[in-house]
Parts: sequence; structure tokens; C-alpha cells
Amino acid sequence: MIVYIARRIFTAVFMLLAIAFVTISLFFGASKDPARAMCGKPCPPETRAKVSAYMQTDQSVVWQYTEFVKGLFVGRTYGEGAQQVHCHAPCFGYSFPNRSDVTTLIAERLPVTLSLALGAAVLCLVVGIGLGALSAIRKGGAVDRFSTGFAMFGLSVPTFLVGLLVVQVFGFMLNALPYSGFVSFSESPTDWAWHLIGPWMVLSFILAAGYIRVTRTQLLNELSADHLVAMTARGASTRQVNRHAVRGVMVPVVAMFALDVTALLGGSVIAERVFSLHGLGDLLLSGVNESDLSIVVGVTLFSAFLIIVGNLIADLLMPLLDPRIRRA
Amino acid sequence: MPDPVLQVEDLCVSFTSGGVTADVVRDLSMRLDGGRTLAVVGESGSGKTITGRAIMRLLPRGASARGRIVVAGREMLSADERELRRARGSDVAMVFQDSMSALSPYLDIGAHIAQAVRLHDPSVTRRAARARAVEMLDRVGIPGPADAVRRFPHEFSGGMRQRAVIAMALVNRPALLIADEPTTALDVTVQAQILALLRELQQEYGMAMLLISHDFGVVGSAADDVLVLYAGRQAEYGSLRDIFDHPAHPYTAGLRAATPRLDARLDTGGERTRLRAIPGAPTSLRDAGPGCAFAPRCGLADQVGERCVVEAPLPTVRPTSEGGGLHLAACHLDRLPATQEVAR
Repeated sequence: MIVYIARRIFTAVFMLLAIAFVTISLFFGASKDPARAMCGKPCPPETRAKVSAYMQTDQSVVWQYTEFVKGLFVGRTYGEGAQQVHCHAPCFGYSFPNRSDVTTLIAERLPVTLSLALGAAVLCLVVGIGLGALSAIRKGGAVDRFSTGFAMFGLSVPTFLVGLLVVQVFGFMLNALPYSGFVSFSESPTDWAWHLIGPWMVLSFILAAGYIRVTRTQLLNELSADHLVAMTARGASTRQVNRHAVRGVMVPVVAMFALDVTALLGGSVIAERVFSLHGLGDLLLSGVNESDLSIVVGVTLFSAFLIIVGNLIADLLMPLLDPRIRRA
Repeated sequence: MPDPVLQVEDLCVSFTSGGVTADVVRDLSMRLDGGRTLAVVGESGSGKTITGRAIMRLLPRGASARGRIVVAGREMLSADERELRRARGSDVAMVFQDSMSALSPYLDIGAHIAQAVRLHDPSVTRRAARARAVEMLDRVGIPGPADAVRRFPHEFSGGMRQRAVIAMALVNRPALLIADEPTTALDVTVQAQILALLRELQQEYGMAMLLISHDFGVVGSAADDVLVLYAGRQAEYGSLRDIFDHPAHPYTAGLRAATPRLDARLDTGGERTRLRAIPGAPTSLRDAGPGCAFAPRCGLADQVGERCVVEAPLPTVRPTSEGGGLHLAACHLDRLPATQEVAR
């Protein structure tokens, strides 16, 4: 077990290094010059070259990459003299437009994203599993027809549309919910929740669809499974049988959940944009808009790291739920 | 005469779907004593499995049973949920056809058996129940039982799994075992082993066995009496010998003729023989007319004429060979012709 985890972590490190390389290469392959945004207007070529040298974006991709990896271990220093900035190890890069190192930026944005992700995750689990289970138990009933339609809608409607609708209906028309802004949990837990209800609704609406479908299908399979008939034949009560059926549903739900949550933790660009929340998704978007390499690489790596961890946790949980997945 | 372990009187099972009700089992009666085996034979859709499930009140949604079923003195059709739970797994147990799907993929073999023990006697500790499981696995001939209890169903071979299912069914020494095609999913040599094991345990425990099968070979080697079902109705009932040697119903005769025999070549002096299948397919239960359900496929219906189409035959007593018990057949013909061209 420990060997297995160690091996997975070892692979993960290499994966992250590879992702960093790909991100840096793509950035320089496709993007405009980062120095351009920083040098202001007018921007004579010599100033631009100076800025470029200062930001160290005038070097080759391979140089960028080795500097980046070196920065992770020993930190990184940009410029010299009065202009010098130092980014402590582990340095994921320095954002010039924000005048801050990327680690700090991510740490600042994290509470917003975390609040958004965890609330949406809990809500989508409750709604998804609840509706899925109800529609499986009363297959063909009113709840089933409603939730099948609901899931269909959730899967096919884009996030931004749902987001705008929620803002329009609850924020403007009904005037029931705030349509933007964030209050930190430590400041006021009720205000915190109040401001996040809208985004939670949007994200969990989109996500719940998958859980409704998986829960419904899986529970229907389980409920008609011979091993549950056999359990009844041994003298088990309906309650005991149902409890056992839940186990079969858990396996795919846990797998899905691990991926969804980690994807959410990496930032939800659209929902954050619609509700003007300054989370990781918003940070990434601004990084892309301002051609800020450090932010793009930093946030990408952070998301990738979460996804890898999420996968690892799911892989470790799975054999506990389903012995068939257990390794010899 | 001692009270039978299983008594079924006028059992009807009907399915309702989309406002239409169809009888899948009609007017079925049977009686089974301890230590005896009754085989219920018929083709797919004849109602064999449903009959077995009805006895345990394990009918799927939309199905309902009428009539009377008594298992070890307990009225099953009027029993409440509590009573049913007490009966299931203790008075009457079931062995399923597909052992893979009958076992939960999330529980090890020992947990299945221990669960059967503890559901009926909560005073047994977990540890003691596991010990019973080991004992039982040993009894059904699983090598290394102490290790096998910790295995999961997918780690067992088909034959081993079926043994485990048998151990699970018999751990509480039921008075009646319903074996629903217990050997169908197994290859021939394993089939013989499982049948021998079932017979041996039956004798040891003195239990009655309802053997549901479509395989006359299996029936011939395990049953005392045979009930032939056609379209949910009793076609013929009798001792194994009467059914095999003196069938009184054209359908039974047809089934006998359709049984593949390993010694077929020898019988015909080395000539190639073709398996004689009964032509046609069972009539849909929904558009069953008033007449004999088998009439459309019966080669002898012409000899009887009109009657087969307008009137359903009732089971009547037929001659028995020496030592045979009751022999009933539901056919308008009093006796099958000697040279039978029973199927069209």
C-alpha cells in the first residue's frame, strides 16, 4: 500500500513537471509578448526590450523552464538594484502586473474558490443522489419524470446561461439574492452563505445532472440484482437489502465526485465571472488576458496537482468500496 | 401420512402491466414430503421459476399470487413481512441458477453465510457465525475452507461458487430447498458433482427439495417425482418412472424425445439420429384461448378434434407402474398411441 502510494506520488511529480513544460511552451507559442502589456504607452522598442529582459521573458522556452524548476527549489530573483524582486522558494513565478508572487496570489484567491467548490459539491451530492435515488425507487413516477428532465437540462445547458438566468431571476427580478461579491466566512458566516447561494445553485445544477443519472441507473441495476433477491431469500428485511444496494451506488459516485470536486477546486471560470467572485478561475482568466505567464503556469499546475491528488484519493477509496478492484 | 413440507393448492400467479393481467401460473397444486425431491420441468416461460419464487414470496413487482402455499406448517401467502423473514432462509431456502449474480460482489463468501446465520439467530456472535461458515464450506467440499471464507465471489470458480451458494442456503437446515436450475450454468462434470452433493445433503438433513429444471438428464438423476409445466399449467405429474417410461401427456413425450442422449447412436445401430424438437413456440399467455394450451403444437390434437381447441383438459388420474404414486395428466386423450408421432 505505502509502496503503491509512493509510486503514485513519484509519477505525479514527473507529470506536474511535464505539464509545466507544456504550459510554458504553449504560452510562448501562442501568446503575445508579456512585456508589451507592462511597458505602457507609448512603448518604444528599446523600453520594451528592457522590460522583457527584466521580466526574463526574452529567453528561450527551455531557459524559462529550467529557471522555473530551479525557482521551485531555490527561489528566483528578477532584475537588479532598486528594481530587484525576489520570489522565495518554492517559487511558482512572479506576477508583474500584480506585483506579487504567484503563491501569494493563489493563497489569496483560494478561500473564495474553496467556499464555492465545497458548497456546490455538497449541494450537488444531496440533490443528485437524492433525486436519483427517489426516481429509481419510484421509477416512472412524477419525481422520476421531473428529475430525468432536470438532468437532461442540466447536462445540455451551458453554465453561463444558467448563471445569467439565476442572476436575472433571483438577483434582479425577485431581488432575493445578492448577485455579486464575496464575504469571508470568518467575517460573517451567514453573509458568506448568503452571497454564495447563487453560484452554488448554478454549479450544483450543472453537476447534479451527472449524479442523478448515475445514481438512478446504478440503483435500478442494484435493486433488480439477483444478489439482493438472494439476500431477501436469506431472510433480510427490505431495509437491510436497501442499505446493501447503496453500496453498489457508492462506487461510481465516489469516482465521479473525486474528479468533480478537484475540478471545482481548480477554479470555476464561468461561475466566478458571472457572479464577480475573485477566485482561482478569475485569476487564471486575468492571467491569460494580461499575458501573465507566471499566473497561467501557477494556476494550471495547482489545478493539475489537485486533480492528481483527487484521482489518487479516489483510487485508494475504490478498493475499500468494491473488493473486485482490490489488487492481489 | 405426515404433514408435507410443502403443500401448494390452486396456485395462480398473475402479472399486471399496462392494465392487462396475464396468468403465468394457473391452478397449480403439489405436495412434497421431507427427504423427497420434486422436479418442476418445463421450457422457458412455462412458469417454473415464478412458481419457486411464489413459494418464497419473492415475486417481482407487478406479480401477485392467489391460492394456498404451506411451507413447514406456515401459510406463506397470508404471512406478514415478519413471518416471511423468519421463514425465508430458515424454513425454506433457495439456490439460484447464476451463482455469480446471486452473491453480492461486495461481501466475502464468509459474510454471506454468516449473514444467513445471524439473520435468524442474532444471539450468535460474529465470530461464531464465521466459524459456522467455515464448517459449512468444509461440508460442501470446498478445499481450504478457513481461507476460502475470506475470498470474494469473483475469486471462485463457477463450481466453487455454486457450492458456496448451497452452503449459504443450507446453513440453517431448511425443511425445504428450492433449487432453481442449480446446475444450468455449470459444465457437465461439475453438474454431476453438484447434483451428488445436493442429494447427499438432502439425505443428511432430511429436507425436501423442489428442483426446477428444463434438463431431463438432471431430472432423471435427481428427482423422485416430476411435475411437467406447460404455459403455467400442470401438464403431467407422476413418479420419475411413470413420467419417463409411461408419459401420458404428448408434451411430456415430446420433451423426452427432445432430450439429447449420449448413447443415441448405439440405440439406432450406428445410424445418425436427429434430435426431435417440438415444433413451434409456447403460445403467448395473453392470447391463450379456452382450449388446451398445447393444442397448437400437439401432433395428436387432430385425433381428438374440436375438443382440444374449445375445452382445457383437467388433470385426471392415469395408470401407474408398480410402486408408483399418483400419476396425473391433463390431456383429452386417455392414452398415448404406442408408436408416437406426438409432435407435428
